[in-house]
Amino acid sequence: MGLFLLAVTGITAVLFLLLPGRNLLHGLSLAASAGLLGGAGGLTREVLRQGQVTYPALGGFFYLDGLSAIILDIVLLLGFLVSVYSVGYLEAEFRHGQVDERRLGIYYFLMYAFMFTMMLALTVKNMGMMWIAIEATTLASAFLVGFYNDKLSVEAAWKYVIICSVGIAVALLGIIFLHLSSLSVLNPPQLLDWTALYDQAEALQSPILRLAFIFILVGFGTKAGLAPMHTWLPGAHSQAPSPISALLSGVLLNSALYGIIRTVAIVNKNLGSSAFTGRLLIAIGLLSMATAAIFILTQKEYKRLLAYSSIEHMGIIALAVGIFTPASIFGALLHMINHSLTKSMLFLSCGTVLQKYGVKEIARIRGVLSLLPVSGPVFLLGLFAIAGTPPFSVFSSELSIIGAVFAADRLLLGAVFILLLALVFMGMALSMFRMFYGGPRGKLVRGENNLPGTVVLMLLLAAIAVTGLYLPPDLQQLLLQAQQIIIGGQAHAG
Amino acid sequence: MANYLDALSVLILVSSFVLVANKRISSYIATFRLQSLLIALTAGMMGLQSLRLEGRVDVLVVGLLIVSLKVIYIPNLLNRTFAQVEYRVEKDFFLNIPLLVLICCGLVVFSYFSISTIAGINAGTINMQVVNSVSVVLIGLLFMISRKKAIGQMVGFLVIENGLFVTALFSTHGMPFIVDMGIFIDMITAVLIMGILVFRINEKFESINLHELKNLRG
Repeated sequence: MGLFLLAVTGITAVLFLLLPGRNLLHGLSLAASAGLLGGAGGLTREVLRQGQVTYPALGGFFYLDGLSAIILDIVLLLGFLVSVYSVGYLEAEFRHGQVDERRLGIYYFLMYAFMFTMMLALTVKNMGMMWIAIEATTLASAFLVGFYNDKLSVEAAWKYVIICSVGIAVALLGIIFLHLSSLSVLNPPQLLDWTALYDQAEALQSPILRLAFIFILVGFGTKAGLAPMHTWLPGAHSQAPSPISALLSGVLLNSALYGIIRTVAIVNKNLGSSAFTGRLLIAIGLLSMATAAIFILTQKEYKRLLAYSSIEHMGIIALAVGIFTPASIFGALLHMINHSLTKSMLFLSCGTVLQKYGVKEIARIRGVLSLLPVSGPVFLLGLFAIAGTPPFSVFSSELSIIGAVFAADRLLLGAVFILLLALVFMGMALSMFRMFYGGPRGKLVRGENNLPGTVVLMLLLAAIAVTGLYLPPDLQQLLLQAQQIIIGGQAHAG
Repeated sequence: MANYLDALSVLILVSSFVLVANKRISSYIATFRLQSLLIALTAGMMGLQSLRLEGRVDVLVVGLLIVSLKVIYIPNLLNRTFAQVEYRVEKDFFLNIPLLVLICCGLVVFSYFSISTIAGINAGTINMQVVNSVSVVLIGLLFMISRKKAIGQMVGFLVIENGLFVTALFSTHGMPFIVDMGIFIDMITAVLIMGILVFRINEKFESINLHELKNLRG
């Protein structure tokens, strides 16, 4: 099933380049992403039953456990929703002459190639292969960022490729040192194998492993948009087509964090405490939150503002992983899911607003609520949700992280954390809320023009409202499985 | 054998100093070619050794790939890109060359002191091969931030990649074969994508000077 999923994505991506006709492309995309979502459901069920899924094929490279299953589910769920949204979005772009049929095919090809590389990163056992797949995500999405091919998007694409490639090269140095630290322990077929590394973590050479962790944190941290390596992120998120921004923010950042979390598990098991990784992660997390808070206060464009909010949330997750208690890990994983759903909903509503008004500056937009009867309120509620207002899910995961911070007796840290959250809330309220009220200028027509997209937005809103109050038992069990994988306390079959 | 490898690692380091001292785009592409040749030689020697001792051919295959990709294909690609986007030779660096070379010396000293304090990499004596190759990575980073042209950044990226490759070679005798192959595929795709983006930058901004790319800030 897992290999089938990867194969389907790869083949679909190539098909987009060969097939003619808009309707055929949209249809294929919808069918493929729905199929993938179904497949992900089946795989998750298997993970819930057996703890992990592996196949003997191709040297047993495929490996899925609770941790990767959570993120894989996010990838494929958002992949499906973004596919549905893209139909309406691209049709509107097509009507305005922004894209022609050939570029439509290229868009879908790149989007599926992007999803394929992210799925690969999440389902391989070998840390080296994971690195390759994460680097490949940059390459697959570079032309998506530069899709509109104007001055700003080319600049964003160049910065994205250069900064992320160099960052990821630093991570490779970390992987090399990880490999070096295990040379006297592992035998050739197991080299760089995550399960083998984790099982024998105590035997790895600690000094080299520490060096490896620093490089991996900086390297994958660049990709995850952690400050001060975040400089590519606002440009890339604001210049990419909005459905792609949703994928970048909701999925790509998680895949990069996933690489860090896997390494943290090994290093903490080796050192016997989380003091070393915790210090670094908490520092980098707080720095990301503070950077984001400042830039959100002074931001002039709504998509860039949301991009900075992604940096803030990645900081929150890094901080929670740094605390490294069972409760904080649970909160971090839950926050990953909640942030992905909420933020992609926001970027998709941005797409609708952008197509309506045609401008990115906050100051030039008025009356979203009256002009967009459904997307407008959804956008507003989404902003409240992402800033951490109850009853939405981001509030519940932030609350559990705050609880975990105080339970770990980090009172000062907890206070700073809450202060930064409040600052971000204020920044959001000050800069964004004025977009919604007042009368629209000019002769814009009231109404939604992306019908499937509007349905997607409402689905996402329902999802984040429900999971804020009630966590399905299956999801809870999956989260607990993932938490055990990170913290330890469960034997793994290599 | 160890002596030859030591000598090669020093030569690779020297070639990155030469790279920093190069003024023109065409000459630093040539230096990159030379450095890749030295790395291919290193991989070839280690490959022959592992063939003799363990009967493995994978390091040799990797060496051959370096010759075909980094010595022949990529430098030619860079030269072609350069020929199509730039007609004049301009001053292409922020700091002057003697200062850059001094900073490079500082980087080598820095990596010497940081690597030599880490137990495990050094078995008794300090592993100068790893020090040299980590220095190449740092010099590659310095090169990237010291050049104003997009092609300079591409060359810097490739030098970092070279440094990483020799670090892996000297410290661990190469990564697992499948990982090495994947890294090559990623690298060649990255270079192709950057090449296309250089054309687009040239087309939109009418030059490949990166100081014009300052619209997305804050």
